[in-house]
Amino acid sequence: MSFIVIENVTKAYQPNGAASRTTVLSSVSAEIEEGEFVALMGPSGSGKTTLLTIIGAMSQPTDGRVIIDEVDVYGLSEERRADFRREYLGFVFQQHHLLPYLTTLENVMLPLVITKLNTQEKRMKAQTALERVGLGDKLDRLPNQLSGGEQGRVAIARALVNEPPLILADEPTGNLDSRTGEELINVLRSLNEQGQTILMVTHNPEAAAATHRVLKIQDGLLMSDSAEAGRREARPMMEEVCAD
Amino acid sequence: MKLIDIVIGSLRRRKGRVAFIVIGLAVGVGTVVALRSLTATMEQEIGAQLDQYGANIVIVPKASSQELSYGGVTLSAATFDLLQLKDEDISRIKSIKYANRLSLIAPKLLGAVEIDGQKFLLSGAHLDQEVRMKQWWQVVGRVPTETDELLVGYEAAQKLGVIEAAKPAGHESMLHSGHASVRQSELKLLRTQLALGGGEFRVVGVIHETGAQDDQMVFTSLSTAQRVLHKPGELSLIEVSAMCNGCPIDDIVAQLSAALPEAKVSALQQAVRARLQTVERLSRFSTALSVVMLLIGFVMVFITMMTSVVERTREVGVLRALGFRKSHIVRIFMIEAALISLVGGLLGWGVGALSGALSAPYFTEAAAVGRPSLALALAALAAAVTVGVASSLYPAIKAAKLDPTEALRHY
Repeated sequence: MSFIVIENVTKAYQPNGAASRTTVLSSVSAEIEEGEFVALMGPSGSGKTTLLTIIGAMSQPTDGRVIIDEVDVYGLSEERRADFRREYLGFVFQQHHLLPYLTTLENVMLPLVITKLNTQEKRMKAQTALERVGLGDKLDRLPNQLSGGEQGRVAIARALVNEPPLILADEPTGNLDSRTGEELINVLRSLNEQGQTILMVTHNPEAAAATHRVLKIQDGLLMSDSAEAGRREARPMMEEVCAD
Repeated sequence: MKLIDIVIGSLRRRKGRVAFIVIGLAVGVGTVVALRSLTATMEQEIGAQLDQYGANIVIVPKASSQELSYGGVTLSAATFDLLQLKDEDISRIKSIKYANRLSLIAPKLLGAVEIDGQKFLLSGAHLDQEVRMKQWWQVVGRVPTETDELLVGYEAAQKLGVIEAAKPAGHESMLHSGHASVRQSELKLLRTQLALGGGEFRVVGVIHETGAQDDQMVFTSLSTAQRVLHKPGELSLIEVSAMCNGCPIDDIVAQLSAALPEAKVSALQQAVRARLQTVERLSRFSTALSVVMLLIGFVMVFITMMTSVVERTREVGVLRALGFRKSHIVRIFMIEAALISLVGGLLGWGVGALSGALSAPYFTEAAAVGRPSLALALAALAAAVTVGVASSLYPAIKAAKLDPTEALRHY
């Protein structure tokens, strides 16, 4: 069984006052193996972020299943699902979502607050994570004393501090200039080279080019999978993406 | 790093708002504390004052043939009583179970005497006790200490020529030239020798006008009165003061009746009831005001916490994404509320105790305000934290129930 199995995932909303339901995702299925670096691409409103949050155990699908490491994520109670996020997942958000009143080190320690580690262990782990993203010397800065790129790296350090099997990134380069964005992608790639599984939503082709595999979503449907395409058509997706 | 560190960081970031709510709570708690300590002082004061109004239990012999009135209480004329109260009855009073509640036991012997051909009521008592019980007495001269000394009421003193008879205002200042203003207390004793019951006595003090029966009376020690009236060891009545903050006055009366079967024991219910009523009203007033203040505090914390939850929606989303359980979110907000209200409570207690002490002179006559009590401090803290935590419960649960994905999208 694959590390991540997405089985006929459908998500539909009934907006307030609307007569009909809006389908965001229709019966999406995919499998992701351990150690993969996968890009989830698609235009705005295509449903890619929704798919990420569903895989991220944050949003119950209307239909279908998500199985990660043989755990049926939505078979868990809500509180157990929070525990699952703590143990299995690291999130990197587009706006980084650092807490403005905590220092770099404290922000990275956040996911460890609810673990049983002692303060010293928490500190060590957070420091190690920050060193891995090259910020070992800015532990006591507040987020507003960091550049956008540095904030992004703090967000990555926070995502990997509890050594989760899977990192989910939602347009991590979205708010950054191209050079800073590239730096951030390089950080993610080097993590992936050390064996980290990463699923990243992006509409930046350069970012996607750094990945192994691209899943394309449009209008809530999985349109193409570069891995399958590669198996069938010698990976035209990758060629297309890497063309420039 | 623990949950509380997140809370402290967040509080530091929102200093202004936190200060607002802390001050608000402190004002509420402070008002309650000031009010409570003020009413406590007033209660004490009223208690003390009412104790000074004199005895609240009077013991007289049961059988009587002639009525004599004293201090509004009808008592038997000692002269014709068959059954008498005796000195020994004092020790029987001291043997009752509630003896420790009795602050004063004042035995008295009353009888008519003739001085200069005029009849006066002679009261023999332990005069040091009498002066303590009748704090409104202003004695010119001193209180008798020897057996041949007398203390004379104002009118009696005038009749006996011990002091000047009453004169229109203005004359006194002429009498005492050299004093710009002459007060009553500068009355001079013009005559100090009185003969009564075949003996010579010295007047050592006069009681200023009291407006009561005391003005017409002559006072001396109990033993002297017993000798002059030829009633050795006998008593007309015994006045008893019970220390009375919600004291079991009925029980005390019952115990005294059992100890003195030949005597009639009656409580001056009026004094006791008036005291209890005043105290009750005061404490009811302060309780009502406290409830209102705490209610205002509740609403204020509630609104602030609700705003805080809305403002921190995205933060809640982040924490939930990182694996914080709903219960962790609730705990974060509750810790925050508890910290804020603890500080508010402490501050409020300090401010309240201080302002209570400072304002006490304007509201009461008490010389010393009761020291700030630990119980009041603990109660203030408990009230503040209860209000803070209770009012934050709903906002905290609301925060925990936020949909994490929706929360992350919140701006």
